[in-house]
Amino acid sequence: MPRRSLLDESENELEINLSPMIDCIFILLIFFIVTTVFVEEAGIQLNKPDSTVLSSDQESDDVSFTITANNKLLYKGQEIALSQVKEIVRNGLSGKDTPVSIKTSGKSRHGLLVEVWDRAKQAGAIKLSFNSVN
Amino acid sequence: MAYRRSIYAKEDEKAEINLSPMIDCIFILLIFFIVTTVFVEKPDATIEKPFALTDSNLEKNSLILAITEDNKIIYGSREISLAGVSLHVRQNILKNEMPVIIQADVNANHNVFSKVWSECKRAGAKKISISTLKD
Repeated sequence: MPRRSLLDESENELEINLSPMIDCIFILLIFFIVTTVFVEEAGIQLNKPDSTVLSSDQESDDVSFTITANNKLLYKGQEIALSQVKEIVRNGLSGKDTPVSIKTSGKSRHGLLVEVWDRAKQAGAIKLSFNSVN
Repeated sequence: MAYRRSIYAKEDEKAEINLSPMIDCIFILLIFFIVTTVFVEKPDATIEKPFALTDSNLEKNSLILAITEDNKIIYGSREISLAGVSLHVRQNILKNEMPVIIQADVNANHNVFSKVWSECKRAGAKKISISTLKD
């Protein structure tokens, strides 16, 4: 019994040494901090119809734009400015799901397609699609 | 004075800092970083992204391809060929149905973009988006 009291006194509080664990956790933490990349991407989802459907679905009431190889925007064969896109789409939409298609030449700039797409979407087009012609 | 001190010394023989709250904190940080970490290979190229008003935030965990101004297709830090696109996409999205993001430069050729798009579709990508300038 007196022995026990001696022991008790020599190590009053028996504690686990936590320092190595903290070291480990710190290393893990630093690893994850360093490898974390915050991917913040904004974007638009584009649709392209299947090439098999393409030929048959030429509906008469759809709104169809053409982007030529020298980056000109045509509607019904006439050159139009980008700012007119919204108005044309708004007038052309008979129902909510009137298709709007953008026929794009392979040599045109990618940015132009995105601009036309964006404007058509702003005007309320839901069924948007692009297809590429060479 | 001497008497007082000896009492003190007996009461807490080893003055130690209580580390438990700190460990709690570090654990919380650690868990946060583990959860938010996505291993995404960002294309190593400078792309002038188009601007669009109708864009929305895309999923963080996506496969990202880039098309540069001079029509090169970049995946990660390497340039890949058009035929390589479907290979990379198929390899990387099959495990979990990851969306594909195409970062195309505004001055990139539409033909290249269109072909990359078709290749991604052919490789089985369900959701293909283009990346726009974040405002």
